Amino acid sequence: MNYFLSLLTGALISFMVYLNGTLSSATGNYASSVIIHFVGLLGIIVVMFFTKSKLNNLKGIPFYLYCGGFVGILTVLFNNVGYTHLGASLTLALSLFGQSVSSIIIDHFGLFGLPVIRFNHKKTVGLLIISIGIFLMTLS
Amino acid sequence: MLFIILSILSGVTCVLSRVINFALSEKTGSYQSTFFNFLTGLLGSIVLFIVSNETFHFFDVSAYSGSWWIYTGGLVGVVGVTLQIVLSGKISSFYLTLFLFVGQLFAGMIIDYIVVHSISIYQLVGGTLVLIGLSYNLWIDKREA
Repeated sequence: MNYFLSLLTGALISFMVYLNGTLSSATGNYASSVIIHFVGLLGIIVVMFFTKSKLNNLKGIPFYLYCGGFVGILTVLFNNVGYTHLGASLTLALSLFGQSVSSIIIDHFGLFGLPVIRFNHKKTVGLLIISIGIFLMTLS
Repeated sequence: MLFIILSILSGVTCVLSRVINFALSEKTGSYQSTFFNFLTGLLGSIVLFIVSNETFHFFDVSAYSGSWWIYTGGLVGVVGVTLQIVLSGKISSFYLTLFLFVGQLFAGMIIDYIVVHSISIYQLVGGTLVLIGLSYNLWIDKREA
């Protein structure tokens, strides 16, 4: 059941890229980003209500920890541009490739105070297979 | 080529925001950090929107002629994040990540099929290779851990 839910969650991410991309074609890139974040904010407030989450312990949290949302705007904008020009599957494949490479770099250098996990050269094989797959996808 | 680079960058910014939000969630909890993610995202979007030249478009009725469900992307995103938060406490991150990969890539292909009514053999084979490559590296992580 949890495996199925994980599969469904992945599908939801793709469905979201499709919805947001379609919205940005209708209303424009920046207007759609306002709408997407506004609707999402309402959604998380509802979730917090049902999970009885409270906003507390906010003292002493450095400002940059609140900046994830600013970076997230770029993700939304890039995904929308990608979806509009490349379609869903190629945009998602490229995004997953970008996630793999940036995770490897962050781990290798231990950036953002995370523990250092040196690059395992066996992973070059995986990255190569992903690249070949992406190249094939661009041919269609 | 520009769109390919931007799509790869969407993965980079996705990881960056995830790292920052994770650090915030260690202090506030997962749902609260998601709340701030959307709050600062909304504030930043409003600023970008005001300095962009799209403002007139926002008040143009024809921009809202689309079906109602195209506005639900933010909500779908929240459901996705909430499911990830709940699931991360129930199954190993290996299987969670693996099934997220599978779900994303196959749903992406299905969406392309529905939108353009066709799917090429290149897309199917390429998408499967991407999945194999991602799974292989994930498996190396698991084995070395």
